[in-house]
Amino acid sequence: MRRILASSLLAAATLAVASMPAAADPMADARAIIAAHRAMPVFAPPGEPFDAKACMADKKVLSIPISMTIPFNVELQKAMASAAAEVGFTYTTWDNQLKIDQWVQGISQAISQKYDVVDLAGGLNPEVLGPQLSEARAAGLKISTTHFYDVTQPAIKSVDYSGKVDFTGAGKLLAAWAYEQTKGKPNVLIIGSSDVLPSIPFVKSIQDQLKTLCPDCKQKHLDVPVSEWATKIQSGTQSALLADPSINYILPIYDSMSQFVVPALRITGSEGAVKVASFNGTPFVLDMIRQGQVEMDIGESLGWAGYAAIDNIMRMLCGKPEVAKLNVPLLVFDKDNIKTAGVPANFNDGYGDAHLDGFRKLWMLK
Amino acid sequence: MTTLDLTTTNPLPKAKSRFTLKTEAERFALVAAWLLLIAIFGFLMPDSFLSWRSFSTLFGSQAILVVLTLAIIIPLTSGDFDLSGASTLTMSCMLIAVLNVKLGWPIVPVIVVALASGIVIGAANAVFVLYFRIHSLIVTLGIGTFVNGLILWVSNSQTISGVSMDLVEWVIINRFLGIPLAFFYAMILAAIIWYALEYTIPGRKLLFVGRGREVSRLNGIDVDRVRATSFILSGLISAFAGVLYAGMTGSADPLSGLNLLLPAFAAAFLGATTISPGRFNAFGAVISVYFLVTGITGLTMLGADAYVQNLFYGGALVIAVSLSQLVRNRQPQDFS
Repeated sequence: MRRILASSLLAAATLAVASMPAAADPMADARAIIAAHRAMPVFAPPGEPFDAKACMADKKVLSIPISMTIPFNVELQKAMASAAAEVGFTYTTWDNQLKIDQWVQGISQAISQKYDVVDLAGGLNPEVLGPQLSEARAAGLKISTTHFYDVTQPAIKSVDYSGKVDFTGAGKLLAAWAYEQTKGKPNVLIIGSSDVLPSIPFVKSIQDQLKTLCPDCKQKHLDVPVSEWATKIQSGTQSALLADPSINYILPIYDSMSQFVVPALRITGSEGAVKVASFNGTPFVLDMIRQGQVEMDIGESLGWAGYAAIDNIMRMLCGKPEVAKLNVPLLVFDKDNIKTAGVPANFNDGYGDAHLDGFRKLWMLK
Repeated sequence: MTTLDLTTTNPLPKAKSRFTLKTEAERFALVAAWLLLIAIFGFLMPDSFLSWRSFSTLFGSQAILVVLTLAIIIPLTSGDFDLSGASTLTMSCMLIAVLNVKLGWPIVPVIVVALASGIVIGAANAVFVLYFRIHSLIVTLGIGTFVNGLILWVSNSQTISGVSMDLVEWVIINRFLGIPLAFFYAMILAAIIWYALEYTIPGRKLLFVGRGREVSRLNGIDVDRVRATSFILSGLISAFAGVLYAGMTGSADPLSGLNLLLPAFAAAFLGATTISPGRFNAFGAVISVYFLVTGITGLTMLGADAYVQNLFYGGALVIAVSLSQLVRNRQPQDFS
């Protein structure tokens, strides 16, 4: 009886250890994650090749970005338009300035001008346009989103195809970076914005990965809505640093937050001791890496993103399966390779152009 | 006729002839509330909140809001609103980034150009308000929106980082008594405005014009000139706030500075309930900024969510002004 009890206990203990999230060699795991995102991106086909020119002849796509006052959206639209021009179909960007009435007008225009697709791009949430999207669908249009959902999030029913982004992958990379840079002793302040839908799984992936690498390490989440970045990120970061002076890494999930984090570090006298790493590859933040104010930024080439988005939209019209995630590599920029991003930095340099040849072959253009 | 109307609708406040406990309590209620807040947070977090590092951070980081508030209380004193203050701040900040980072100009002439932009915007406000006789609310809203468009244009909607470290050093890195220099610039400005309004003839004229334009005109004050000066000074000081903003962040973006407008107005109105109750005043504005920020800093250090900060900010503003009204026996507020 005692033996049975002992062996049961041993089995239970083994099971418990096996199910613990902590990795066997967390430092090696963290380094492996980082190494995978340091290499120059190579093109991996996101699906089977298809004759895009034939299937897209006479097709019309209208894309509504969340706002054309955001440089990210301008560059994404440029790349999408360039990909569409290569294939040879009508592609229109609905220029707007973050106004819901302009988005509604865009959808009405797509219906009345007999477009085939309405695409909501660069962060525009389809839920705010529910009735208009239903009307567009009833008129026979297909609906897509580009660069909005995380790969773990299902799209709402009024959307046919989604070009999803690997935010959770970026989250794991940020956590691994903080762990590796602090030699396995991170005390992290994560700055998120829960009002932006994909930031919820993004923040969670950082938290989970940190717990996996280091179950006992401290972490804190500062949640600031986008409209209050300018007034709350600096004060919130300052307060967090004052309340816990042992914080050694700050992870703002979107890199534009960094311009409010750096003053908080300066004013609390923490610059140098507390490092910053983030995600997006926005040029002014890449410049901040060159100037030594930010340690690392995960860049995503908007050239790749634009071509990958058009690929997914064409697959929707050509009856091919949806792509699981936008074929956009995440690349680590730090002091070692920051010059490859340009001086001053821009959205496209540093990623190579393997995507151009890759997509052309995939679409049977050559 | 007009004079009679003014006296009936806007009764002059009773002369502060002598010290009374009630008036002194009213003057210093907000200061007491501020000290109480510090005491509460100090009790809850004796090690972190009561450290000098914590206070120097709090003082240094809010200097820009203090300067912007000081800018808008000048036209408020003469009875005009300046809703273009935050736009002027952002334009000045953006000009510094564009000229210094993109065009490579040295920082001193860049600061001069940035300050001059504030004077130009203030003068434009004055021309439209005074020549065309349009309400300041409408003109400054329009000019502010126009300036916002210019900012997007000159910046190409981009955030620009890499502003001269000389400016950054003279704003937040160099310190006196452990507090960044920006705080002392704001305090010097507050002292100048306080002295000018209390002890100089132009300052008193500004107050008279605010209290009654017709009365002032009949007494020989050039009302238009006084009001024009207040707009230009407001523009200049807002542009100075923009210089500090560029020095604080080391960068400029086309939108974030615009968010400071409502906090600045909140601080100006809350400041009008203290030190010199019923009148916009420089040190009242300073105390109200630090009262509100102390509350928010303490709550954030305790781990409160972002929404709690809004509850505190809005709630404290309304409750403080309401309590001040109770002390004043609910007389109608006349801030003009």
